[in-house]
Amino acid sequence: MTKHEFRIVGKSVKRQDVIEKITGEGRYTGDYHLPGLLSGKIKRAEIAHARIRRIDVSRALAYPGVKAVLTHHDVPRVLHYGSPHPRSASCTMDQYILDDRVRFWGEGIAAVAAVSEEIADEALDLIEVEYEPLPAILDIDAAQAPDAPLIHDVGPGGNLVIPPVHIERGDVEKGFAEADLILEGEFSGGRPVPTYMEPNVCIADWDGSNKLTFWTSTQTSFMVRGALAEVLGLPLNKVRVLVDHMGGGFGAKQDLFQHEFLCALLAKKCRRPVKMEFTRRETFLAGRSRHPFRLWLRQGFRKDGTLTAREMKIVYESGAYGSHSPGVTNVGTASATSLYRCENVRLDGRAVYTNTPIAGAYRGYGVVQTYFAIDIQMDEAAEKLGIDPAGIRLRNAVREGDIAPSGHPVVGYGLEACIRHGIRAFDWAGKRAADRHDPANPAIRKGWGIGCEMHGSSAYPGIKEQGNAIVRMNEDGSVTLLTGAAGLGTGAHTALAQIVAEELGVPFETVSVVHGDTDVVPWDIGAFASHTTYLVGSAAKMAAAELRQRVLARAAEKLQEKPGHLEMVEGVILVQGQPDRSITVAEAMGPSRGIPAEHLVASGSYMPTKSYSFAAHFVEVAVDTETGIIECRKVMPVHDVGRVIHPVAAQGQIEGGIQQGIGHTLTEDYVIDRTTGRSLNAGLVDYKMPLSMDMPDIETVILEAAPDPGGPWGAKGVGEDPIIAIGPAIANAVYDAIGVRFHHYPITPEDVLNGLRRKAAESSARD
Amino acid sequence: MNKIHLEITVNGEARSMMVEGHRSLLDALREEAGLTGTKKGCDVGDCGACTVIVDGRPVNACLMLAVEAQGAEILTIEGLQPDPDTLHPLQEAFMEHGASQCGFCSPGILIMAKCLLDRNPLPSDEEIRFGLSGNICRCTGYTKIFDAIRTAGRRMAAARAQSVEA
Repeated sequence: MTKHEFRIVGKSVKRQDVIEKITGEGRYTGDYHLPGLLSGKIKRAEIAHARIRRIDVSRALAYPGVKAVLTHHDVPRVLHYGSPHPRSASCTMDQYILDDRVRFWGEGIAAVAAVSEEIADEALDLIEVEYEPLPAILDIDAAQAPDAPLIHDVGPGGNLVIPPVHIERGDVEKGFAEADLILEGEFSGGRPVPTYMEPNVCIADWDGSNKLTFWTSTQTSFMVRGALAEVLGLPLNKVRVLVDHMGGGFGAKQDLFQHEFLCALLAKKCRRPVKMEFTRRETFLAGRSRHPFRLWLRQGFRKDGTLTAREMKIVYESGAYGSHSPGVTNVGTASATSLYRCENVRLDGRAVYTNTPIAGAYRGYGVVQTYFAIDIQMDEAAEKLGIDPAGIRLRNAVREGDIAPSGHPVVGYGLEACIRHGIRAFDWAGKRAADRHDPANPAIRKGWGIGCEMHGSSAYPGIKEQGNAIVRMNEDGSVTLLTGAAGLGTGAHTALAQIVAEELGVPFETVSVVHGDTDVVPWDIGAFASHTTYLVGSAAKMAAAELRQRVLARAAEKLQEKPGHLEMVEGVILVQGQPDRSITVAEAMGPSRGIPAEHLVASGSYMPTKSYSFAAHFVEVAVDTETGIIECRKVMPVHDVGRVIHPVAAQGQIEGGIQQGIGHTLTEDYVIDRTTGRSLNAGLVDYKMPLSMDMPDIETVILEAAPDPGGPWGAKGVGEDPIIAIGPAIANAVYDAIGVRFHHYPITPEDVLNGLRRKAAESSARD
Repeated sequence: MNKIHLEITVNGEARSMMVEGHRSLLDALREEAGLTGTKKGCDVGDCGACTVIVDGRPVNACLMLAVEAQGAEILTIEGLQPDPDTLHPLQEAFMEHGASQCGFCSPGILIMAKCLLDRNPLPSDEEIRFGLSGNICRCTGYTKIFDAIRTAGRRMAAARAQSVEA
């Protein structure tokens, strides 16, 4: 890569979308109001598995203020995809808008539109439902039992969502035969939920031409458009999806959640706009979680720590519908081919249906689970072999040219750089040699741990993706970028504007971003898979480069100079080597020989393969041996992102991911009653996230160790990475502190106390 | 349904509206007064996204009935700017430090931070953490929010010191 002096890229410019967020002027979907707006509400099943024998809405319909009620008798019976991605390996077609069968507690079974939210709510209670209960399958074992009843008629059978994913490379038997140490273990994890702050919300409005305008909080507006059009039987140009500001998504807001279809159908029936807004409780009941899992892992190591073989079986719990399970299972299973290089691997990944809430896409997408297990077993191997935990990781870290999980060679590997940097900056050796006791509190034991990760930017090869951008220079020299990428809060639009300004040679402030209107902006696959900056950023750079040529050609005419002799810097077009000959971009765009000014437009389309970002997380924990509470005291995340476009936004992604990762590892678990399937903690108090009092000091380090030629100036993704490495880093630090190994998350105080008791009993039995 | 005549002052402006007795202050602000900057994240007092200042005290607007605010002076996020062309130092600092990502919690956190700094111009790290303990942010890990509040507090204190000297 040639040496490039950046003017805008790499600087933490003011995020364009933030001014609206901090003044309260930014509009989120729930802030919109339309004349005649009705309120829609969903009646949710209070049973985990049943057939609906009878559903009587007559009392609800007669209730004053109620305008319409829908049940499975009233809506089109179209089998549709749970996750509306373009047809690919990540989709399963297993959902109806409303069905005569209930597959999880909280599933929508009817919908009401009324003149107020209160009336709609009251009407829900007037709907009478008679169920024929069916045996409920509430965990992975029950789903896999030979005589287990089937939750779906579709799929490969045995409650599998998709046929098992099987990956085999090298010769696993030979690998184990060469091993000096073989470790085997079982791992599992709970059900963390993304808990975005903005509850799901949408507004549907039909016009006289049978066109649907649809405001919604989604990461994938074009996928929502596609699913609505397909299920409602409309051409794409009759569905306009609008997304303004979004209050987070973290992957989950790629799905449709039943209410989109119901809202559109209610609005159609009532001939009035309808708004449907989830309560916080509904975001739990009907939202998406990370997949709970069971994992078995066996690895062989030489005396020097080198991996010789890896065998893994993982079962992901999909819940009642497939949603992203195919994608999660494929990505998660494939992830275990790498991170720590191993020529001989045999992997088996499955996803099973259960009668529990739906697991979907969530930051870390199947990889959180596998790397949690692998990175803990790595620590166990280090201890058994008498090698430093960081050292065994350096020995095995994935390298340039290794086959990546996606199946093609790793280009630019940053993992070693991340580990080496962290060893120094965290003072790894010094800390690990330090006293575990805390002089301030005799019950405390301190410990230090490390965890690593790699994660792809873009969903390739599961989805062949495409990023698009249109860049327009207006007559006055101002620039408009049109992008379909959603702004779910990451600062992606600002990064895209930076890329355009840099490539064009105009001031950052002159670029504005238009997004969130499927009638206007270029098609976009959605904001997920850590790919917006990588994929759409590259498309925006291509479009800006082309536009630059057009602007220079126009300027060349005015300056009577060859375009190749011109350069554009900060909105001024200069003749190279002749600083006195220049015009502004506005002058170049102005009227020419009596012909009125015009705007110039260029577009870019980019189809990437894959790049990988890397990270090593170093953590310090303090375990209270009396209360069992684990406090995460310090985290140093070291990330390689290739090229950082906006440092503060990138840091923000990392620190927020760590917050969620700490939660998953220590406190967060959406609990489903194992006998009824009912959720036990569908609220922000009972579902315990790390908040201001709980967060540790985070000292974020961003490296540009391994730029990827596929991203703009080498940039790679950063969104998903931070949530992956923190979990095993904490579990390993807990072991370092108290000598008790945990193979599951969340690790609760009760687990710690039980573990300490077990350890004490074992050591007294030995004595 | 019977409506009650409510008179409140919001962001310095006298407002008069008819609200149902069961209406929360949050719904009245968002729907009757058209001030949608204050967000509804849970509607049960768990998340702090709806924090507003009522007669000088921070309140979860979802937990207060609108009629309880009869005659009160209320400050919402829309009233935080001293004038339309100037940002409050907290808003400036939030921009600079990247303390707002998705932004849904930001209005509540900014209002809570204003309460904190009004009472305690130079809070310690522990005081900032405690001050925000009722406000959930799921995007930032809080680090940037703490940085922004510290920065704003320092600048506000310096500005006050300067105006005293002048």
